Amino acid sequence: MDDLTPAIEVSGVRKAFGQVTALNGVDLTVTLGSLTALLGPNGAGKTTLVRIIATLSRADAGRVRVLGFDVAAQPKEVRTRIGLTGQFAGLDDGLSGRDNLILIGRLAGLRYRQAVHRATELAATFELTDAITRLVKTYSGGMRRRLDLAASLMASPALLVLDEPTTGLDPASRQQLWAELQRLRAAGTTMLLTTQYLEEADRFADYVYVLNHGMVIASGTAAELKARAGTEGGSLDEAFLALTATGEAAL
Amino acid sequence: MTVATGTQAGTAPIRCRAVRDSGLIAGRNLRVLRKNPGRMLYPLVQPLVLLVLQVSVLGNLALAGHAAGAVGESYRQFLIPGIIVQNAALTAPTTGLALLRDAGSGLADRFRSLPMSRAAVLSGRLASDAVIFTVQAVLLLAIATLLGFRVRSGLPGMVAMAGVAVAFGLSIAVLSAWLALLIGDAETAERTLYFPAIAIAFISSAFAPVGYLAGWMQPIARVNPVTAAAGVIRSVAAGGGLTVPLAELACWVAGLILIPGLLAARRWQAPQ
Repeated sequence: MDDLTPAIEVSGVRKAFGQVTALNGVDLTVTLGSLTALLGPNGAGKTTLVRIIATLSRADAGRVRVLGFDVAAQPKEVRTRIGLTGQFAGLDDGLSGRDNLILIGRLAGLRYRQAVHRATELAATFELTDAITRLVKTYSGGMRRRLDLAASLMASPALLVLDEPTTGLDPASRQQLWAELQRLRAAGTTMLLTTQYLEEADRFADYVYVLNHGMVIASGTAAELKARAGTEGGSLDEAFLALTATGEAAL
Repeated sequence: MTVATGTQAGTAPIRCRAVRDSGLIAGRNLRVLRKNPGRMLYPLVQPLVLLVLQVSVLGNLALAGHAAGAVGESYRQFLIPGIIVQNAALTAPTTGLALLRDAGSGLADRFRSLPMSRAAVLSGRLASDAVIFTVQAVLLLAIATLLGFRVRSGLPGMVAMAGVAVAFGLSIAVLSAWLALLIGDAETAERTLYFPAIAIAFISSAFAPVGYLAGWMQPIARVNPVTAAAGVIRSVAAGGGLTVPLAELACWVAGLILIPGLLAARRWQAPQ
């Protein structure tokens, strides 16, 4: 894979659950090293798309390539290169934070010593050192989210996929998590995230895709989206509402 | 604070990924039990309580029947193998429920997003449950000995009986794993899986010879794997021949591990 290869290429992806169409011909591209946000109202298809990209679900039609690998034909290649932070923490409440990190690192292919070293390193990075030997069920929501993100980073993935990573967190915890995501971006990690907090996308995302009814209805930088919606100077929330309303009208 | 670059995954020399990952998952399951001792109550303490209660209550009642000539041998000696098999059957649904607990949490997505063996969550669960079944069988046999259960084949017989209980328990555990994944909902599965486990224990020779059961139960009891497992344990305890029940049990164990095992693995691995 060269530097010009996109981190994610999605073309013509369709997915239905019975009679319900979740994705209806989605195309998007995420460039290497960028932080791309996927916005949309509830039921727009964001999580379905994220699950397909993370090899958890299979598209009915279309093609998805992650870091040059086809998610349907080469899922293992994709899995060795991505980290996933889902909507629900992927942690075992009955284990300590340290045991969770080591287990996930080992399952990702690290040797025991490497996993222990990496777990210690990430616990320090995410300010969890004091709590790392405690059972996860004793953690606060913010601590669980940080540990979940640390778990996604155990194998130093080139691409991090985050599905609503800050949902349910208090403002201080959200701010702390975003500070860590920005540091990751600075270190060269590509990120695709979904969020319901539009001001987060406004502040931090390099590029934004707006999904509605399983289709991309707008894309661009936050400034471009505001300009397209005629809400320059306003918030991305206003642009989002205008764009989704236009999309509804078009439908 | 900087996010360290760390070590690239997948560099460990892996001869057999499935075995390694199953071991990691089994270790995780056992560590969870060790750190949460309350979770050991059901698989390890409850069977002992049931054994003592059943032997204390039913054993004496049946001895009265024995005195009247209803049963031709020591009922306690007959009952205890049935209770050992019954406890294995009643513990087996925990396998399916634990898998569903994982499937319903974010942990399942985490595992599925890792480059690990897709079969390891199921095989690792069975490996850790094999340890639980073994500890359970050893404890039950120890308490049974204190309650007067006699094994004429000595220590090798005890080991063989524990082996039978573990093999039988695992085969029902595999079945419970498949059924739980088929049901998909933890609450429904919890209410559904224990009923057949209780039913197969009662419609068998666990507590009474097949000839003493109600007429409609007898054909089911004759082919019930509980009858075969209890029969093998009784034969081993008596130091007698066991060719027929052992072959029957072996067929049941192999069939229940292979067919529901493959179906459960497919269900776990299937992309949604």
